[in-house]
Amino acid sequence: MASASASHLVLFIASLMVAASVAGTITNGVSQLSAAIDDQSYDVSGNIRTDVEVISDPGGPVYNRSGNENVSLLVKNTGSRSLPASGDALDVVVDGQYVADVAVTPLDAPDWSPGSVVRVEFSRPSLPTGDHRVKLVVNEDEEIFSFRT
Amino acid sequence: MGFSVSGASAIIFVGMFISFGMVYTAASNGYEAVSEAQSAAQEDALAQTNTAIDVVNASYDAATDTLVVNVSNTGASSLSVGRTDLVVDNEYQTTAASSAVEGDAETDLWLPGETLSFTLTLTASPTRVKVVTESGVAAVEVL
Repeated sequence: MASASASHLVLFIASLMVAASVAGTITNGVSQLSAAIDDQSYDVSGNIRTDVEVISDPGGPVYNRSGNENVSLLVKNTGSRSLPASGDALDVVVDGQYVADVAVTPLDAPDWSPGSVVRVEFSRPSLPTGDHRVKLVVNEDEEIFSFRT
Repeated sequence: MGFSVSGASAIIFVGMFISFGMVYTAASNGYEAVSEAQSAAQEDALAQTNTAIDVVNASYDAATDTLVVNVSNTGASSLSVGRTDLVVDNEYQTTAASSAVEGDAETDLWLPGETLSFTLTLTASPTRVKVVTESGVAAVEVL
């Protein structure tokens, strides 16, 4: 009788340990999933709140304004969140070619807050005469700007 | 036997309960953040649709080196003077000190039907003037 209770006790403890490890694994997996959902929703809401507009006048000069073969564009933040005023935060493609070195200068505020304007400037040596197309991508918000040189 | 099964079930049940709590919190917070962002974007789109401006006139006085641009708010939403931008020949102009709505230089509100006028000093006669509102609605005037 005593041996039967001892074996029952061993089985009872073993089953509790197995159940605890199963529950621990599930909780751990789910907590990682929750963290991922949190991050993803933060990114998605940031993308939705981002909206920029190129306010340069395509009819005016855009290329080689100061004689150093730069393309300079004025870009306004028309969304509802501040954006980092640095070249890392935006991707520029000119005529299908990616531009790696982009300078971003805030013009009417210390940062790129909603309503404020930055100057986006990048070098394109000897851009041929004709039609050109610039694509700006900020947080999945895409803007197309066409101009003539 | 009986105690083992019910003890183990209880532990697993508690684990599931905690997991559900975590997923539910994350999912509802995420949904709330995304839907709030969507409603902000919809409000911006509505304001943009209700915005219309028209350049009444833009004139350059060579004797005094001044450019005067009068812009009328022909839409239905009130605009902010501070967030309205002036671009002359693709050069951004800082307009803080040079704007007035119906003669009032202090106000930041540019209400429907009112005329906003910019006065700035330029050494050469410009050819193109562009006015851009906070939502990105713009008007161009060629001098």
